[in-house]
Amino acid sequence: MKLGVYIHIPFCRKKCLYCDFSSSARDVGRYYLSYTAALCREITGRGGVLSEYTVDTIYFGGGTPTLFPADAFATMIERLKDCCAIENDAEITVEANPDTVNEDKLAALRGIGVNRISFGVQSFDDGVLKAAGRIHSSRAAKIAILTANKCGFDNISLDLMYGLPEQSLASFGESLREALALPVHHLSVYGLKVEAATPFGEWLAAGRLALPDEDEEDAMYSEVVKFLPEQGYHRYEISNYALTGYESRHNLKYWRYQPYLGLGAAAHSFLKGRRFANTKNIDEYSAMLGQGQLPTNEEELLSIQNAMAEYVFLALRTADGLEYIGFKERFGIDFIGRYGEVVKEMTAKGALSQDKRGIRLTSVGMKYGNVVFAAFLPE
Amino acid sequence: MNTANIRNFSIIAHIDHGKSTLADRILEYTGTLSAREMEDQVLDHMDLERERGITIKAQSVRLDYKARDGQTYMLNLIDTPGHVDFTYEVSRSLAACEGALLVVDAAQGIEAQTLANVYLALEHDLEIITVINKIDLPSADPERVKTEIEDVIGLDTSDAVLASAKTGIGIEEILEAIVQKVPAPTGDRSASLRALIFDSHFDSYKGVIVYVRVVDGVIRPGMKVKMIATDKRFEVTEVGIFRPHLVGVDELGPGQVGFFAASIKNVKDTRVGDTVTDAERPVNEPLPGYRKVTPMVFCGLYPVESSEYDTLRDALEKLQLNDASLIFEPETSVALGFGFRCGFLGLLHMDVIQERLEREYNLALITTAPNVIYMVYKTDGEVLKIDNPSHLPTPQEIDRIEEPYVKATVIVPNDFVGSVMELSQEKRGEFKDMKYLDPTRVMLTYHLPLSEIIYDYFDRLKSSTRGYASLDYELSGYKASDLVKLDILLNGTAVDALSVIVHSDRAQYRGRLLAEKLRGIIPRQMFEIPIQAAIGNKVIARETVRAMRKDVLAKCYGGDISRKRKLLEKQKEGKKRMKQVGNVEVPQEAFMAILKMD
Repeated sequence: MKLGVYIHIPFCRKKCLYCDFSSSARDVGRYYLSYTAALCREITGRGGVLSEYTVDTIYFGGGTPTLFPADAFATMIERLKDCCAIENDAEITVEANPDTVNEDKLAALRGIGVNRISFGVQSFDDGVLKAAGRIHSSRAAKIAILTANKCGFDNISLDLMYGLPEQSLASFGESLREALALPVHHLSVYGLKVEAATPFGEWLAAGRLALPDEDEEDAMYSEVVKFLPEQGYHRYEISNYALTGYESRHNLKYWRYQPYLGLGAAAHSFLKGRRFANTKNIDEYSAMLGQGQLPTNEEELLSIQNAMAEYVFLALRTADGLEYIGFKERFGIDFIGRYGEVVKEMTAKGALSQDKRGIRLTSVGMKYGNVVFAAFLPE
Repeated sequence: MNTANIRNFSIIAHIDHGKSTLADRILEYTGTLSAREMEDQVLDHMDLERERGITIKAQSVRLDYKARDGQTYMLNLIDTPGHVDFTYEVSRSLAACEGALLVVDAAQGIEAQTLANVYLALEHDLEIITVINKIDLPSADPERVKTEIEDVIGLDTSDAVLASAKTGIGIEEILEAIVQKVPAPTGDRSASLRALIFDSHFDSYKGVIVYVRVVDGVIRPGMKVKMIATDKRFEVTEVGIFRPHLVGVDELGPGQVGFFAASIKNVKDTRVGDTVTDAERPVNEPLPGYRKVTPMVFCGLYPVESSEYDTLRDALEKLQLNDASLIFEPETSVALGFGFRCGFLGLLHMDVIQERLEREYNLALITTAPNVIYMVYKTDGEVLKIDNPSHLPTPQEIDRIEEPYVKATVIVPNDFVGSVMELSQEKRGEFKDMKYLDPTRVMLTYHLPLSEIIYDYFDRLKSSTRGYASLDYELSGYKASDLVKLDILLNGTAVDALSVIVHSDRAQYRGRLLAEKLRGIIPRQMFEIPIQAAIGNKVIARETVRAMRKDVLAKCYGGDISRKRKLLEKQKEGKKRMKQVGNVEVPQEAFMAILKMD
C-alpha cells in the first residue's frame, strides 16, 4: 500500500500577520538539531506501521522548513528509508521561503532527492508583502525561483494570496502575470481568511485593518479562475492550479481519502480510518519522544457518517469530483441512495453537476464550496 | 348546600385594571389557598399568561366565605380574559353566573373593554357590582371615575366598592357585596339534569374534563348523561369542583359550578355552550347557549421541516381540546408544502397559539401573514369565502369583493382625538360618533375594515396616543371594497404563501415596502435573487438580493481534515432553519414581513 508522509517543521523567522498555523519564531539555530533528532525518533517509533507501506510522497511543510539546513532533510529522509520502502520516483516536496534559500542550499536539497519545491510568495508587490508581515521581497522571490530552476528543480510551485491589505485588483493581476513569467509549474492561490488569533484578527476586530472590499476581492477571485486556466494551468482543486502532470501528488492524497502519516509537532495523520495528531507543543513533542513515548495527543475514530461526509467534501474539492464507484467501493453504500436529496438540491441551485459517473462542483459550487460541503454533513 | 347560599360571579375588567390581582386577594382572604400555595396570578396557569401578565383562558374556583351574617356561602368565581380577542371566553363565563364584579382602574377610568364587558354582562342579565380598584395610587380619582361610569354606562355607583387589590383594601366589602347583591341561583334539585358546558380541557388520564354550571337536577358519578347538541352519551366517572385545582365531590347540585369527567376522548363531543342532561330522563329543551365562536383572523401554519407535519397536526388537535375557538384545516401551498389554515379570534390569540406550538411542542413554524375572510362574488353568480389570498380567483372572474368591517370604539384623552381621526381615516375608517366621557376623555366610534385592524391599526393607535388609547371592536358586517391581490415573486416564481390582499390604493406602496423588507430578510445565497412585487402581470416593485460572498475553506493545513469538518459543522449549526422555496431559502419571518413594515 502507498503512503504519503508529511513532516512538519514548525519554525519561522517571523510569524506572518495573518498566520494561525502551528509554528514558532524561536531561534532555529539552537533547536534544529534537537528537533531533527526527535523527529528521527518518531520515525523509528512509527517504524512498525511505516513498514506496512511504500512511501510515494514526502512533504516537508511548515512553518518554514527551509530554515533548516539541507543535511537535516537528508537525515530525516535517511531515517525514513531505514524504516520503509520509498519509491524511486517518490514526490518529495519542501516548502520554502524565498529569503531562506540560496543556490547552495537549493542545490543541496535537490542533491538529496528533493524534487519539488513550493515557494510561499503570496504577492510580487512589495507594499502588499510588507503589509502582510512577510520577510521577503518580490525581487528575492524571483531570484529564489530562478535559482531553484537553475539547481535542477523542474517542479516548482508558488503560493499566492488575494484579498490582502493594500492589495488592488491591478496589483494582484500583476502578481499572477509575474508568476507565470517564471519557471512555475503549479500555483496554490488562496483568499485571505482573517483568523481571530492573529494580529490581523485583532486589528480587524478593532476596526484597524483595511481590506479590499467585497467587490474587489470578488474580482480578484474571478481573475484567478479565469486567467490561470487560460494560461494552461488547469484548476484541479478549488485553490490549486497546475500544468498537466504537475498536480501535487501529496495533496491529492488528502482529497482522495488516501492514507498519510504526519510526523513532527502538530502533524496530522490519517491511517486505517483513524485520524490522529501530534502535540503542537515543540518542547513536549521532543520530551515525549525522549522518554520513548509517541507524541500523539489527539485521536478520532471516524463514525461511518462522518467518514462519508469527509470523503464527499474532500473529493468535491477536486475538479474530478466524486465518483460513485469509488464511494461504493469504500463504504459499500450507494451514493445517490444516501445523498440523492442533497445532490438534487445542490444541482438545482447550480452548485453541482452530475453525470453517470459522479458529481463535481460547478464554478458556482467552487466559489461556495462550504455551503455545498455543509449540506453533506450528518444532521 | 342550599342554593340560597350559592353565589356565582365573574370579574370583568379592561386589561391591566387589576383583575387577576383581585382574584388573588379574594382567594387569599377566603383562605382557599394557603400562603404557601399563593403566587401571583394564581388563576393564570399558563407560562405565557404569567409572562405577558394577561389572562387567556378562563379559570374557575370555588371559595367558602363566612359572611358577616354568620352564614357560610359557596362562592364560585369564574375568571375571564380581558383582551378583546377573548371576548368570547368572557361571554361563556358570564353565562354561568348571576353576577359580575366590574373592575375599573381608579386612575384610568373606563376603557374600551370596560364598556364591551359591561354590555356583555347586561346581555346576560347579571347583577353588576362596581369595584373602583387601585385607589391607593396617587393619581387615583374615584369620584371622577364614578361619574364617568354613571354618565357613560348608566350604572348606579353610590354603592361602588373602593378597593385596592394590591394592598387588600376593600376585599371584605367586595365579598359582602357579592353575598348581598348577587342573586342566589334558582334551580330544581328534583328536576331532570340540565347543566351548561362553559369550558373544557383535556386530561390525558381522565379524558375531557367538562366545566359545567348545573341549573337543575344533580350530576354524580355513575350517572349516564347526554349532550343535547351532539347527542353523545357518556357515563360520568368523576364529579368535582375547582379549588382551583380539581377536587372530587359526591355530586353537583343546582346552582353549583364544577366539572365532570366521563372518559370522553374527543373534545368535540362536549361542545362549549351545549347542555348536559340525564340520558335516562332527558330534557329536550337545551339551555340558552351562546353564539358560536367565529374566528376572524386566518393564517397558514406550516412546519419548517415537512417531516413535522404530523407533529403539528397532533399539537393543533391537543390545543384545540382546550380552545374551541381555534379552528384549522389542512391546506397545501406550492411554496410551503403541507400545512394548515388556522382561524383565530384575533392577533393575540394567533400569537399565543403560535408561541405555544413552538414552546410546548418544540415545533419550528412558518406563519403566513394573517388575513380576514373575504366574500368574493364571481361574475357567474357563485359566492366564495376566501380565507387564503392565494385562492382568490382571477380579476376577470370577480364581480366584487366584500371585506369584514368592525365597529371600533376608541377611548382616548381629547388631546389625541386629532391623531386618532387621522389614523382611522388613513385606515379607510368611516367616522360614526364622538362622545365626551368627561371634559378630558373622548369616545370615538368608527367603522373600519378588520384587515386594517389586524394590519397595524392597534400598534399605530398606541404609538400615536402615547399608549393612552384603548380599543375594542366587534364585527359589524361586510362591505364591498376595491381589493387586489399583491403577489411576490422570488427568483421569477410567484410564492403563493407571500400573496396578500390589499386595497388597490395601497397596493403600490405596500408592494414596494414588502419587496424592500424581504430584501433585508432573505439572506444572500449562491446566486442573485430578484424579488418582485406584482399585481396581476404588472410588476410594481423590484429588489435584488446579491449573491453571497465567496465561501470556501482554501487552506490545506497538513491534512488536518477534522478541523475542516468541525468548521463546516459549526457553519451548518449556525445556519438558521429556513424553508426551501424553489431554489431559494426563505427564513420564517419573511412570511410575516408584511405585518412589520411601517
